This record gives sequence, C-alpha cells and structure tokens, in this order.
Amino acid sequence: MALLKIAEPGGKLVQTIHHLAVGIDLGTTNSLVTASCGGSVETLPDDNGQHLLPSVVQYRDSQPPLVGQKAKAAAIADPKNTIVSVKRLLGKSLADVKNSLQYLPYDFDPARDPRAPAMLTVAGTKDPIQVSADILATLARRAEHCLKGKLEGVVITVPAYFNDAQRQQTKEAAGLAGLKVLRLLNEPTAAAVAYGLDSKEQGNVIIFDLGGGTFDVSLLSLQKGVFQVLATGGDTNLGGDDFDRMLVAWIRTQLPPAQQADLSLQGALLGVANDAKHALSNAESVTVQFGAWSGVLDNTQFATLCADLIANTIKTCRRVLRDAKLSKTDIDQIVLVGGSTRMPVIRQAVAEFFGKEPLTSIDPDKVVAIGAGIQADVLVGNKSPDNYLLLDVNPLSLGIETMGELVEKIIPRNTTIPVARAQEFTTFKDGQTVMSLHVVQGERELVSDCRSLARFELRGIPPMVAGAAKIRVTFQVDADGLLSVSAEELSTGMTAEIQVKPSFGLNSGSIEQMLKSSQEHAKTDMEARAIREAQLEATQLIEALANARVQDGDLLTEADAKSVDAAIGALREAMPAGSSNRIHHLTEELNRISGDFAGRRMDLHIGKALRGSSIESNAEGNSTK
Amino acid sequence: MQLFKQNYFELFDIPASFHVDQELLIGRYRDLQSQWHPDRFASGSEQQKLQAVQVSSLLNQAFDTLRTPLVRAGYLLTLKQCDIERVSQQDLGMELLMEQMQLRETLEDLPVDDSALAALDALKERVNSKLQVSEQAFAKHLGADAILDAKKSYHELQFLVKLLREIEIGEEQRLDY
Repeated sequence: MALLKIAEPGGKLVQTIHHLAVGIDLGTTNSLVTASCGGSVETLPDDNGQHLLPSVVQYRDSQPPLVGQKAKAAAIADPKNTIVSVKRLLGKSLADVKNSLQYLPYDFDPARDPRAPAMLTVAGTKDPIQVSADILATLARRAEHCLKGKLEGVVITVPAYFNDAQRQQTKEAAGLAGLKVLRLLNEPTAAAVAYGLDSKEQGNVIIFDLGGGTFDVSLLSLQKGVFQVLATGGDTNLGGDDFDRMLVAWIRTQLPPAQQADLSLQGALLGVANDAKHALSNAESVTVQFGAWSGVLDNTQFATLCADLIANTIKTCRRVLRDAKLSKTDIDQIVLVGGSTRMPVIRQAVAEFFGKEPLTSIDPDKVVAIGAGIQADVLVGNKSPDNYLLLDVNPLSLGIETMGELVEKIIPRNTTIPVARAQEFTTFKDGQTVMSLHVVQGERELVSDCRSLARFELRGIPPMVAGAAKIRVTFQVDADGLLSVSAEELSTGMTAEIQVKPSFGLNSGSIEQMLKSSQEHAKTDMEARAIREAQLEATQLIEALANARVQDGDLLTEADAKSVDAAIGALREAMPAGSSNRIHHLTEELNRISGDFAGRRMDLHIGKALRGSSIESNAEGNSTK
Repeated sequence: MQLFKQNYFELFDIPASFHVDQELLIGRYRDLQSQWHPDRFASGSEQQKLQAVQVSSLLNQAFDTLRTPLVRAGYLLTLKQCDIERVSQQDLGMELLMEQMQLRETLEDLPVDDSALAALDALKERVNSKLQVSEQAFAKHLGADAILDAKKSYHELQFLVKLLREIEIGEEQRLDY
C-alpha cells in the first residue's frame, strides 16, 4: 500500500491511501503487466524498458530460472529445459496434450499424474502451474519495483473459452506466486473495458481475439457503464501458431525431398514462416528463403493456404451472433485483439463478414492488459464503484450424466454469472442408498463427447422405494467462472451433502480419488488414440528411411546400417502392442541413429542443388538404376 | 435476508403480471447488480464475498426467469400454487395434441438439405404467430384468475417454444453452423 500525496485546489494537503493492484495479461506468447499511473492505465516496463515479457521460462541447474527474453533466446539451444507457450498446456492431461498439439520437445515425467503434463528439466519436474507461476512472479516483481510497494491484488485475464480446469490452474499459479487474485477476467471483456472507457462506446460490440494460441469471439452490449456479455465462442487450440504451421507445410512441399519430412528442421522452418507472416502484414508479397530454396508468397496465396483456419474464425462469429439472437447489422463496433489480428487476411475476412471496418486504435497486443489494469484499479477500491459493472457469462454448458450416457444441461452456456441452479434427481432402485453423479462440461449430447469435470458419490441416502428419494444437486458458478457442486437428500429431512470443487490442487483424498477415476475412464480412449498416432508416426519414418536407402543407400556406412536395422527391428516389434510412449521413444531413437545418414543426404542434395542440377531429375535417375 | 423471501417481481419492484416492461426490468436488474455484484466486494471479507455471490446469483436467476416469456408464465403459475410439472392428457385436450403432432410432422418431413430453408422459414413464422396468440390467451386467463385455462395455454407455449428450438436446430444443421 502506498501513500499518495494529493493537493486539493484549496491548497490543503490530504493524504489518500492508494491501493496497489495490477492487471496481468498472461499470454500464450507474451505477457504484460499494467497499473493505473496518474489517471491512465499503462503497461509497466522492465529495467531495459521492455514492456512485453515473452512467456518463456528456462530452468537451469542450481540457479533460479530465467524468464522472458533471455529464456526465449535459449529456446533453440536448450529446448528441453525451456518451456514455451505453457498456456496451451494449462488444464490439460498429458494425453490431451499429445493428442491436440503437434511436436513438443519436452520429456514428460510418466510417473506424474497424467492429468498434468509434468516436464522433466534440470531443475526438477515442472508442471504448467509452476511454469505459469514463475511468469506471474516475474511480472509481479517488475510491478512492485516500478510502483515501489507491495501488491494487494491482481486481475489476471483468461480466454473466455477457458474451461473450469484451465481457470482453476491459472488461479493456482497465482497462489503459488504469492499473489491474491481479485478476479479472473475474460480477455474479450477486458478489451471492451479498455475501449469502452476510452471512447464511451454504446451498443453491441464484437471482440475478435486471435492470439498466438487461442481464439475467442465475444459479443458485448455496452450501456451506461454496464458491460454485459451476450455470448461467447471460440477455440482454445487455434492461433497465430497454426498459420505458421500452414506456412511451414507449404514451404516443406517446395523443399528437396530429403528435407521434406525432416522433423529436426521444424524449429528453423517455424522461424522462417513466422518472419514471412509478419512481413505480409506490411507488404503485399514477400520472398521466403530456406537453405538453397526461395519462393514468393503474397497475401492472396497466404489466404488460400490458411482458408480453413480463416473460415473457422468466421464460423465462430456466426455462431456467437446466433447465440445472442442478433444479426450482423446489429453490430456497432468490432474490436480486434491479439497480435494475429494484424494479418491483413484476417482483417479483410472480418471486415467482409460484418460489412464494417474494425477498430484498431489501441495496440491489439496491449488492449487486454490495459482493460485488466482498469478493472484491478476498480476492484482494489481506488475507483468509485458506480462507474461501471461487468456482467460476464459462463462460456460452456455445465451438466450431469443421466441414463444412457446422455448429458442433462443444468447451466447452459452464455448464462450470466454468478449463477446457482438446482436440479432434483431420484433413485431408480428400491432400497438404493448410493447415487453417483458425474459432472461434465461441454455442448455435446453424449457424455463421452464432453469434458469430465468430477465424479462423486452421494452416500447415506435412506433406503426407500424407487423414486421416493429426492436428491437436489446444486451447481454454483462464481464470478471467476469457477464451479462448485453440492448435493443433498431432501425427502426425509436427512441431509447428506458433499462439496466438490473440480480443482486439481484439492487435497481431500476422497474427492481426489473421484477425480482420478473420472480421468481414468477418459484415459483409455485417449491412450488408444495416442497409440494410433504413434504407430502412424513410426510407419512414416520407417517408410521414409526405406525410400532414402533406395535412393542414396551408398551414403549409409555398414556399421550405421546395422544399428539402423536394429532400431527398425525394435520399433516394428513394439508397434503392434506397445504403449504410445514406448513407440514414440523408439521412433525418436531411430530418428537419432539415422541422423548422420540424413545429414549426409542433405549435404549431397544441397551440393547438387548448388551446382545447378535438379534434385527431382537426380532422384528419378537413381530410382531407375 | 429479506431479498431471499421476496418473489422475483417484488425483488425488482415491478407488477406481477405476464406483461413485463423489459426496459424497466433491465434497469432495476442492473441497479441491484451494481450494489450486489461480487466485483463490489473483491477486497471484502470472505463473509461479504459469499453473500455477494449468493445475492448476485439470485438476481441473475430472477432476471432470467422474468425475461423469458415461457419461464415467466411458468413462474406466475407457481406463484398461484399451480403444479406445472404435473400434466395430464385432460389438461391439454385432443385438439391441441393433434395440432402439435401435425406441426411436428411438417418439420420432420422436410428434406435434410438447404432446399428446406424456405419451408423452415415459413414454419417458423407460423409457429411464431401461434406463440403470440397463446401468450395473449395466457395473459387473459391469468388476469381472470382462470388458472386451469392459463395452465393449458402455458403447456401450449411449452410445445411451441420447443418446436421453435427444433426448427432453429434444423436451420443450423442445414446452414452448417
């Protein structure tokens, strides 16, 4: 708490208590911290004057971790200890991560709970909560240094589409960093706060937020200082990174055959793709270069390559309009948030769909953080509370499993929060004393298509004939969007009650057990999928190697050929029955052993390319030998 | 706490009738939320925070109930001690059931591609105008304290709203939302 000296117009000196609170945008790629400084909210810089903190943490042996720019610089040299885009891992199980994300360079600790993908680093095992906490702590230290005082609280922004587990873990990360969370604020709402208070907008506003790794669309109604979220939609696995990957896939098709499937080039290719994407934001076309290859890419071509991604973002806009029962013409403003909205292909698609040019006067990378800073200032008590009010919604439906593995929705999506809803259930067998409840989150009809949040049992129901017991289940979602569920038996006045917070940090043994069992069910399916993917990956590598040996077999020494054959043999043996981890491990081993061979092939082909002979014709020549 | 003992109309200080002045309702709702929303107690005690979550949840529940005509109708009947969960065929009458069945068959017989969109639109309009008629009937019966007639209109509204939702889902499927 800092004391601020304010001189009143009369000349009298009064001392007001100014509470220190900051807004934090914990982003996938970069993070920011903001505070109210003399009336306006600004982003706070580090000692070198840098405002953006790359969301990267490098863990080191017996030294504190590096966070930010230095860690980012280390990412290529030390990929296993340098955690990037950790936000994409929050709230996911290891199986989720392996299913939904592409190549990750980390070693995951198989001994740790599969619900949290724990990464093995030189500084020990780190889960996404700990990594996020290190980023938050760095921002908090920066703020305390700038503001010269201790922080009383923080507002942290989360994508509107974040599910319960992702929100819980964000809040836990703040706790681990020693911060008091005043509110988890949805990013689009924060963006609206930033614009709404600056320009006093009224009417319906679309917030289109395309960041590095997540995508959100929200529709807000702004009236007399009340911000009401009418609907939200999005995809937690769509972002600027996906556009980079599309570009990489395109570049790969143009590369010499030896390089096309070379996984070790992925990092370097992503860098080239990212540069090209950025250049296209300021130029109609760019020359892309990788090794000996170069090609020209323009925005029209880029739009074609990414047509599916762009179409998905527009589809979400349409869905949100429909949920809010509004049409395109009802939209008064469109706010663009997130660095990826700098892409002309996105701006054009959005403007075309809504028939209106979007607003861009606030830096799309900072607008969310600025909104969070404004809200932090209000919540900590510096600003008069009657200025404005945020009425947010829950982004995903919450329900319970009923007969036939169907979901009964108890709180539909886009319900204003906080909210409490109760539903009554009954027993279906005579003398039944136990009822099990399965809480799920999602829009689908089938339980298996939704996310399982918690499974718990209500014991001690008095034995009665079927249908006589009355069990009331209450769902409570608080203003942070976090759920708690309670259940009680009403018919005899005897009440049995259990409180379940689907928090991963909960230490109550029984509830933890329930959560575990719920996740184990999900695990079987996911492992099956993971095995199929690992098998596919292995088959592709074995085939690629076989082709390479037909073409350039003479480059493989006899000793190398032996170890390659041995590795292929081990992999083939593991493929039909092994775990996804084992198959994946053996595939990597084969990749490593055949690395020298791949290197020599690349040298040869680059050499040939430099000498001007076409690789395609050479390859043909070889294969007909 | 006094707030929890009031019915939703008393809570927002508006007349307990089927016709609700939406502007007035929204204004009262936002005034009360401004006082009670958990954001007002972010730095408060745990006790205050808990109370804020409860009151704010109540306000949202009450607002959602009064804002939507069908839910509001059901709530008004409940206030008149009418059990809306218990429905018998006699409550509904053959005529109503036959009509609903026909409307439903019209929907189900439509082709499953976007050639059905115009027909869906026409059906939607038809159901919407029926909805208006039923709403007026409900308001009239309730005003006259004819609870059984009001209940019948309420069940008719239930059918129509459900059908409307199904038409919308049909539209979404054909438009690939």
